[in-house]
Amino acid sequence: MKIKITAVLIISMLFTISCTNLDEELFDKVEDTNFGKTPKEVDALVGGAYSSLRGFGDAISNSYPTCEYVFFLNETVSDEATIPTRGTNWYDGGQYQDAQKHTWNADNRMILSAWRYNYAGIAKINSIIYQVDKSSLAADAKAPIYAELKGLRAYYYYNLLDLFGNVPIVTNFEDVGLPSNSTRKQVYDFVEKELLDAIPHLTSNVVYSKLTKNVAYSILARLYLNSEAFISTPRWQDCIDMCQKISGYTLAPDFFANFATENQKSPEIIFAIPYDSKAGTVGNYMSSMSCHYLHKLTLSATGDYPWSANGMCAQPGVYSAFADTDKRKKCMVAGDQINLATGSVIIMDNGEPLTYTEEVNSVADAKENQGVRIGKYEMKAGEMWERDHDFVLIRYAEILMMQAECYVRLGSPDLAKPFVQQVTARAGEEMPATVDLAFIDQELLKEFTFEGKRRTDNIRFGTFFLPWWEKGATEQYRAIFPIPSTVLTTNKNLKQNPGY
Amino acid sequence: MNNKNKKIVLHQVWANKSLLLMILMLFLSAGVYAQGKKLITGTVYDNSGVPLAGATVKESGTKNAVSTDFVGKFVLEVASGSTIEAAFMGFNTKTAQVDANSNAPINFRLDSSVNMLDDIKIVSVGYGTMRKSDLTGAISTVSADNLAKGTISSTEQVLQGKVAGLTLVKDSGDPSYGSSIRLRGGTSLTASNNPLIVVDGIAGVDINIVQPSDVKSIDVLKDASATAIYGSRGANGVIIITTKSGVRGVSVTYNGYSGVGTASNHIDMLSANQWRGYVRENNMKDAIDYGANTNWQKELEQTAISHSHTLSISSGNGDSGFRTSLSYLDNQGVIKSTDLKRLSANLNAYQYILNKAVKFDTGLFASIDKFHPLDYRIFERAFNLNPTIPVRDANGNFTSVGGTLYENPVEIQTNRTADNDRNRLLGYFKSEAKFFNDFKAVVNLSMEYNANKGNTYKPTYAVMEGQTEDGYAQKTYGEYVTSQVETYLNYTKTLGKSNINGMVGYSYFENIYEGFGAQRSGFVTDLFSYNNLGAGYNYRLGDVYSYKGKSNLVSLFARANYSYDSKYMLTATIRKDGSSRFGENNKWGTFPSASAAWKISNEDFMKSTENWLTNLKLRVGYGVTGNQDGIGEYKSLSILGVGRDSYYDPATDSWSLAYSPTQNPNPDLKWETTEQFNIGVDFGLFKGITGSFEWYSKNTKDLLYTYEVPQPPYLVGTMLANVGELSNKGLELTLNAKIMEREKFTWNANLTMAHNIQKIEKLSNPSYKTDVIYSGSLHGLSGMSNQYSQIIAEGYPVGTFWGYEASGLDADGKFILGTEKKDLGNVQPDFSMGLGMDFTYGNFDLGISGYGLFGQKVLNATNMMLYDPNRMAAYNVPDDFVGSGIKSPPTFSSYWIEDASFFRIQSLTVGYVIPLKSKISKLRVYMMGENLAVFTNYSGVDPEVNLSGLDNPGIDRFNNYPRPMTISFGVNFSINN
Repeated sequence: MKIKITAVLIISMLFTISCTNLDEELFDKVEDTNFGKTPKEVDALVGGAYSSLRGFGDAISNSYPTCEYVFFLNETVSDEATIPTRGTNWYDGGQYQDAQKHTWNADNRMILSAWRYNYAGIAKINSIIYQVDKSSLAADAKAPIYAELKGLRAYYYYNLLDLFGNVPIVTNFEDVGLPSNSTRKQVYDFVEKELLDAIPHLTSNVVYSKLTKNVAYSILARLYLNSEAFISTPRWQDCIDMCQKISGYTLAPDFFANFATENQKSPEIIFAIPYDSKAGTVGNYMSSMSCHYLHKLTLSATGDYPWSANGMCAQPGVYSAFADTDKRKKCMVAGDQINLATGSVIIMDNGEPLTYTEEVNSVADAKENQGVRIGKYEMKAGEMWERDHDFVLIRYAEILMMQAECYVRLGSPDLAKPFVQQVTARAGEEMPATVDLAFIDQELLKEFTFEGKRRTDNIRFGTFFLPWWEKGATEQYRAIFPIPSTVLTTNKNLKQNPGY
Repeated sequence: MNNKNKKIVLHQVWANKSLLLMILMLFLSAGVYAQGKKLITGTVYDNSGVPLAGATVKESGTKNAVSTDFVGKFVLEVASGSTIEAAFMGFNTKTAQVDANSNAPINFRLDSSVNMLDDIKIVSVGYGTMRKSDLTGAISTVSADNLAKGTISSTEQVLQGKVAGLTLVKDSGDPSYGSSIRLRGGTSLTASNNPLIVVDGIAGVDINIVQPSDVKSIDVLKDASATAIYGSRGANGVIIITTKSGVRGVSVTYNGYSGVGTASNHIDMLSANQWRGYVRENNMKDAIDYGANTNWQKELEQTAISHSHTLSISSGNGDSGFRTSLSYLDNQGVIKSTDLKRLSANLNAYQYILNKAVKFDTGLFASIDKFHPLDYRIFERAFNLNPTIPVRDANGNFTSVGGTLYENPVEIQTNRTADNDRNRLLGYFKSEAKFFNDFKAVVNLSMEYNANKGNTYKPTYAVMEGQTEDGYAQKTYGEYVTSQVETYLNYTKTLGKSNINGMVGYSYFENIYEGFGAQRSGFVTDLFSYNNLGAGYNYRLGDVYSYKGKSNLVSLFARANYSYDSKYMLTATIRKDGSSRFGENNKWGTFPSASAAWKISNEDFMKSTENWLTNLKLRVGYGVTGNQDGIGEYKSLSILGVGRDSYYDPATDSWSLAYSPTQNPNPDLKWETTEQFNIGVDFGLFKGITGSFEWYSKNTKDLLYTYEVPQPPYLVGTMLANVGELSNKGLELTLNAKIMEREKFTWNANLTMAHNIQKIEKLSNPSYKTDVIYSGSLHGLSGMSNQYSQIIAEGYPVGTFWGYEASGLDADGKFILGTEKKDLGNVQPDFSMGLGMDFTYGNFDLGISGYGLFGQKVLNATNMMLYDPNRMAAYNVPDDFVGSGIKSPPTFSSYWIEDASFFRIQSLTVGYVIPLKSKISKLRVYMMGENLAVFTNYSGVDPEVNLSGLDNPGIDRFNNYPRPMTISFGVNFSINN
């Protein structure tokens, strides 16, 4: 019967079409177990360790070292910068005001940004180390790669030591157990040991933007310089010794060559995060976070410059700290802003002229035009939102100033002079008869304005804890930030820093 | 045909819907043709004039009978002078005398014997059908007659207000936007909460593949005992769409309409003169008056002209049939440049062979959409701009004043070309074979293809965010192909008063998606638009990309039904689903269900109440379903990505691409599990009221969410994991009433009501700790970076506003805020309702329908930002701001949270059937008004805002594309021969 034939046919279909393979088939991605076999693939992995320095933005935080919010955090708690609330703008839950007034708590999103910036970098490096472990490279080929990776990881741990102090140390990618705090001393020792262990395997050449011997020496010099602040053990001489190992750099004759769009050519830069918008780098838009939104007309008659958000500016007192003859004063934009199309002062939407003033009414309520703006990195017409200049982390001037400071602190101010001399001469400033700590402090402010270093300097000089502008005296425990509240919630093994 | 066969076919009626019923009856009657005496023709109608398909017309006292075709027609040879009777289940039989001297058709108009009708409805239950009276689960059926009508461009809209517990929210008046569908509250934080769509047996298809005019009926499976047969895709309910197919005779139908729409509401901002008055009164010396009078909202709008034409042809004889339709829709939006043009076609056909033992069935649906995506930034800017600014300056160039949030919206809208296409194709081939008397085997092969094409061009003179890109061109293409094989075997047996039915099946579902995109900027000329990307000189990393992914789902399923004496019914189902998306440790999930029903009104002891209680049935069901939508491919694996992460190589002064880990692997990843318990009562009262009442409780566990995980030790700060628990409990009531039925006048009404309470029961488990998830982000609003308006926390529903309570304004115009943040209400409606009424009077008909949501809270972020004293004089404020006394910058608090309860009169239709000489033709003309009124206390443009998703549910934030109010005129014309 035909019916039966059909039936048999259909029943057989029922049982033959029974594919049950549920493995995922990948097309445009690769599982980590299938990658990192060849030296070229290992290069592509290690490259990721460097790209982690640029930070990231995700649903939880914007963690960019150049502006939102890692840079913002370092700057707004220091005595050089402020992000005042302007009308409705830049209130953002009071996070900048709290930073400015030293009243932050563990919920501050900028603190979370900084935490995640560093730990994301560490986790990524741990995963790359794990990948390199499994690769077929010979042991002697792996050694310099490990040194580079561990050196970079030590840079992140140095940041954590500085910002949070008692942080967990995690080095093994495969261990996903919830870690507990290490003491600040343990973190300090870890950073020192990792760098010292890496140094023999690192290149002694000057290689731009890579973790070389010089970079490792520089981080160690910073560690020793701040040793008293970090672990109450001064190591000024160790800092000097480390600085003296650094070689191959000179001050750029033009101070602003360090901050030009093509700043990778500067002979002064020891360590930097490279950026190139055409290579898809993101997060480098600090100028737009500072300038007034009509500022573009000062750069291009047609306004061909990315929009700007009218945010961060200098704290009152910073601009006037510079002598008018100081070449570095141009790192700030002040006064009447001229419209290139009309030749006259720009008029804002509220009908008032756009004149950047040093005065800022209050961090809680500033006018649109108040505060001198950050103009350290080059700004030019036709730039896109993502800027192309590299972000300087360590430059030779800092090595000079570290040595000068240590000599002063060791009671030999005369030995400090030759170092300071180089820095002030370039700036066009006179040297004082004697170099003292107060002078060093002011010189650090002027040389490194808006380079994200001021908080650490304020703490080391103790000024951090004194009243200034709109804040009162600060308690000692605020020398480190609290561990972000969401991190504490998700990891019950962690203890909050004392005082918070 | 032998007797045995006849019997089998009789009991398989449920499987082949009413089509089979008709064919069957034809067969039964085929053998009893008497010698011809007189051939009579006619049509059987119900009392509202709707033709009855499958009615039996019989020569009284004989076995000579025939059943009507799908347009109610019959042809019967009878003895002259005999009496014929027309009968149909659920209707009272009528008789007529055959006049030997007349050849006029004999038409019957049958009166319904109330409630009986409901019982014989055939309902799709997934891999088969059942009689409504045999159902044990909560299933709502909407037939074509009851679907919402009018200028509807998408099929989901026909369900608006028709099904208790189903809410449909279209948060934009943009014609190219769809609606979100929710059944009984959402079950998921991450995954889609849209129900599974099944079209002609093909599960998981895009609802837009079916045009509203092709829909025959829609069955909505609500409780888990009904949806568990769809396993890991059934948690949000299942909507089964059955499309029209060829019926006996030839039928040609044309439906067309043309309509005019305008924006139904605006925010009253200060006009230029009011602005000037404000500036004068407040002595704002520096205010800049640019001299023009511009209504920025109106500048963006247009009068929308829409029209649609649908032609369908169907034909069939006993053994085969086909139906084809072609439709064209051109739906303009009330915002300039937006529209939807859709050309769609549908063809389906069937053929029986081997004495109706084997049936082949094939269908093909195709549609092409063209639309112009809008840059939604224009809405916020239209409220921001000073009304004295002219749209264009004296030279005809767009004026540009101020910063990013104050760009000229007309410029954004004009200087941008965006042409998108969406192509959809669905084809299936189904074979059914009956054998060994009680068995039927079905093999269903199908393929769905969806493709999206995007083209964008911004010319060289366009200034976006203050900057030109010297021309920007982009092309994207993506396609999504699913293939399915489903086979199942049915067994049906009647033993005395017992009916037994069993089904086992296997299904293989595979989805492959792939696409690419490219963009360039820096063009010397605008001549090429987006057609020559190579002409752009500015190239960046990420300007070209492509992707591809694949998933599959393998399932085994079975169902058993048992009923005794039409009084007691039991159903049990089980499904096992395996998915490639699930983590290695959880590849297979099992989804069982069981349900029972008791038809109390069929019991002898209910005889005394049958006069007023015409139907009473109690149903109880429990089932387990899943939701795997939120997982996505490759989410359980440790993956390295490439393409966005570059690094600098100083040796060569060049950039290379890094391979970087992108996610935390989770080998435990699996579906979300929803357990649902449902109790339902179906009832019939007196002569015209039917209805049902449902109570349900559903609990979803292993909620998928991208939880924050501690760093260290995790690689990435978030991880997709199954952690939380969410519950929904609710009540639903559906009522249908034939309020009046007279010869010339009828009045029907239907009402649906639903109440749902949602609560997050848990957010943590031993591995993941979460106290609270902040949601309802206000990021992007001025001064609100990193600010959130809502929380997701244990004990609260999704979309709970969390902040300070405002008790008004102090003497200085500052908000008086509480000291502790608290629960400020949530976006979940307490109550939803749909109401429809139809009247006929002679040839006239009138229909009205409306729906409403009640109790939901909405954050009016638009007002929050606009009621800002700092905005004057540079920008603009609403009229109502002037008297508000607010002198404080925008602050999120309860002050801006409003009750957005509303009831919308969705449509009002007046139709008239024009009497024609030709009896086979029918011509109806109608006028229809849509979105005629909204009753609400909400102060924003429209109370109906998006309530789904996590990003901004219940937040009215400038992105309100105004909903149109439309008046249209239409024609329905049909020839049935």
